[in-house]
Amino acid sequence: MTEARATTAGEAAEYEAFRAEVRDFALSHCPPELRAMVAAYRKLERRELETWQRILYRRGWGAPNWPKEYGGTGWDLRRRVIFEEVMAECDCPPQPHQGLRHIGPVLIEFGTPEQKARFLPRILSGDDYWCQGYSEPGAGSDLASLKTRAVRDGDFYVVDGQKIWTSGAHEADMMFALVRTSTEARKQDGITMLLIPMDSPGIRVRPIRTIDAWHPHVNEVFLDGVRVPVANRIGEEGKGWRYAKFLLDRERLGPVHALAPGLRFLERARDLVARELSGVADTRKRELLELRLLMAEAEILGLRELGEEAIDDLMHGRPLGTAPSVLKLGWSEASQGITEAAFDAAGGRLAARFLPVEGSGPNAGAPEGIEWIHNFLYFRARSIFGGSSEIQKNLIARDLFGA
Amino acid sequence: MSFAAKPLVAGDLFEASARLSTEIDQEVARLAEPAERIAVLRRRWDEIAALGWPATVVPEEFGGAGGGLLDLAALVEGAGRAALPLPLASVCGAVPALLGAAFVNAGEGGAALAREALTGVAEGRLRICPVLALATQGGAEGRADREGRPPLAARPGSGDDGAAALVLDGAVLGVEAPPEPTHYLLACPVHPAVGQEQSAALVLLPADAPGLAARWHERIDGRPAVDLDLRSVPVPVGQVLARGEAVRERVASVSDAGALLVCVEAVSAMGALLEQTIAYLSTRVQFGVPLASFQALRHRVAEMYVAYRSLRALVGRTLRRATEDGATAPPWREVALAKLRLGGVGRFMAEAAIQLHGGMGMTQELAAARLAKRILMAEFEYGDTDHQARRLLAAAR
Repeated sequence: MTEARATTAGEAAEYEAFRAEVRDFALSHCPPELRAMVAAYRKLERRELETWQRILYRRGWGAPNWPKEYGGTGWDLRRRVIFEEVMAECDCPPQPHQGLRHIGPVLIEFGTPEQKARFLPRILSGDDYWCQGYSEPGAGSDLASLKTRAVRDGDFYVVDGQKIWTSGAHEADMMFALVRTSTEARKQDGITMLLIPMDSPGIRVRPIRTIDAWHPHVNEVFLDGVRVPVANRIGEEGKGWRYAKFLLDRERLGPVHALAPGLRFLERARDLVARELSGVADTRKRELLELRLLMAEAEILGLRELGEEAIDDLMHGRPLGTAPSVLKLGWSEASQGITEAAFDAAGGRLAARFLPVEGSGPNAGAPEGIEWIHNFLYFRARSIFGGSSEIQKNLIARDLFGA
Repeated sequence: MSFAAKPLVAGDLFEASARLSTEIDQEVARLAEPAERIAVLRRRWDEIAALGWPATVVPEEFGGAGGGLLDLAALVEGAGRAALPLPLASVCGAVPALLGAAFVNAGEGGAALAREALTGVAEGRLRICPVLALATQGGAEGRADREGRPPLAARPGSGDDGAAALVLDGAVLGVEAPPEPTHYLLACPVHPAVGQEQSAALVLLPADAPGLAARWHERIDGRPAVDLDLRSVPVPVGQVLARGEAVRERVASVSDAGALLVCVEAVSAMGALLEQTIAYLSTRVQFGVPLASFQALRHRVAEMYVAYRSLRALVGRTLRRATEDGATAPPWREVALAKLRLGGVGRFMAEAAIQLHGGMGMTQELAAARLAKRILMAEFEYGDTDHQARRLLAAAR
């Protein structure tokens, strides 16, 4: 037999009913102006994310991945993925994932009762917006080399150092950060996880101007004698690497979520190609680009199937193996391929008219289709963040060669 | 080595096919001359017939096993592991499916002949070579001769008892064939078309039909292939199995099933190719260390693996769709996408494996090199990359 999806007909019908319920809600409750922004790939600010998060929260869907006792939905993995797919298909803004997907599960697993009571409800409701203070100028792929120091001073840690590539730091209330509390033989030891209010004295956020011109998005965060209460430490001092690993393991299905908007993205690129190259003289070029998009579609269909298999494996307690790396690599490549086709279709017309000299913001009065120039540039980051393609290949090779 | 490819359709049939295919591949690989190899394949075909593989999907009423697409998939998946140089998908899959078209709208003569042929296939007496020469089918087979002969077509004959219903003329090149076929089963256009009924025909010709000339080749994957040149070959009404739209529809679904099986087989070959490439890099020592310690090579293998996994998933999904309850024909668009991707991935996998084996990759004695050649050939079977792209683009218009 072929590997069957482990659902009975009854279960399948339940999942389909769930899909319909989510779709109904998304279409009737997500504000049209938000959906239009998402559809046009406009840069979303905290305000937009927050608006939608509050609506979901009121519906009881604030935290699809949390257990019920903390106000989550308690959904199984398949429901969570269906939810993501429908959200993408309906052009709903993403949920603030740093709080919900990253620090939330860590707090639930390792947080003190006080930390849970203080932070979780505000993540759920959309009141608090979090950012992740991991990477440093000298610690990118080699994260354990981080140097930001935290020195104990009574009931406080005094933190000095610099974080970089911190998404959303410019609009965040809180940052969960990895800091060095001691220098051990093994660099993974001596790392501690702290929860730092972003309005603490001594914090300075400087936006990084990125090639896609979608800034501010990522930032540098300078920490200069920042006093953080010991009560804001996750778990034990020196065990921060363990909590960060826990977070990564929980996020192993991240690539499946990332894949959810894949087909929609592809369709939009197809529309662009058809629009940009509608003339008779463009037929050859249009067909070439359409062919490349067909190739991308084939890859996406394969990756979605792999994603389904991975969900199945997780739900049945089987190890995921290389699947997350394969999905991450595959989707980076396929999505970059889509943006390249779009760039080929529209680049000649639009790359020269990237930013208006007058007006405000990168999208103000911009020519139609300009988002694909931003997309093309922004998507270069897909193969860099969250474990670069080179790191993923190292992981796969280690598994394949057994060393 | 920790990587072992997982079959899509595991089971006894897969295991048996993989075992025999490995045996045959190794026996043939030792022989220097194409003629010697063909002789071995001819003998081995009888073994395959004795195992009942050509009868896999022949209905039970004709002495077959009454199986389905999944059984064929298990067979070709086993064959893919060792680049079996014999056309299982065509002979075990396409032939019975095409013969079945005779029961849709043929006259009594055609249906009787189809029954007889199916029985002969099930008993292993007949080795029928399918020839899909309709333009809609694409790929290597339907191609016109570049050497001055027109592509194969039929024209109406006089039609009365005893006289020819159709007359065949023209050539087809490089048709994948079982060794020493007893018959050719030809699907070709009818010119000039006399209404819908006359637009295409399915004909069963004995291999020794007067006016039919065959020239044999060996393909890059070692399979026998034949160029057929037909000069005014008369076809009595009793040898016309089906006509018109029924033929075109049947050929379309047979081509899609064939393309899907090729994908299954090629994915299996890629899995074996990856295993062998990883094993080679792990044992081959240069500069005092195994090649597997060099990052450039490790990354190349990781790229092969990612391409393999996503293609395998796509093909597995398409196979599931094609065989789920209520499925009548393979979902053409998904088949076309899978075959399209097979073209690109196959080329990449084959070239990378040859490169990673260094000089050994250039030797015919290396099993991985034979797998690579099988994968390269798969691209051209049952509608090549260009054909699949064309129909996908046409449907999007």
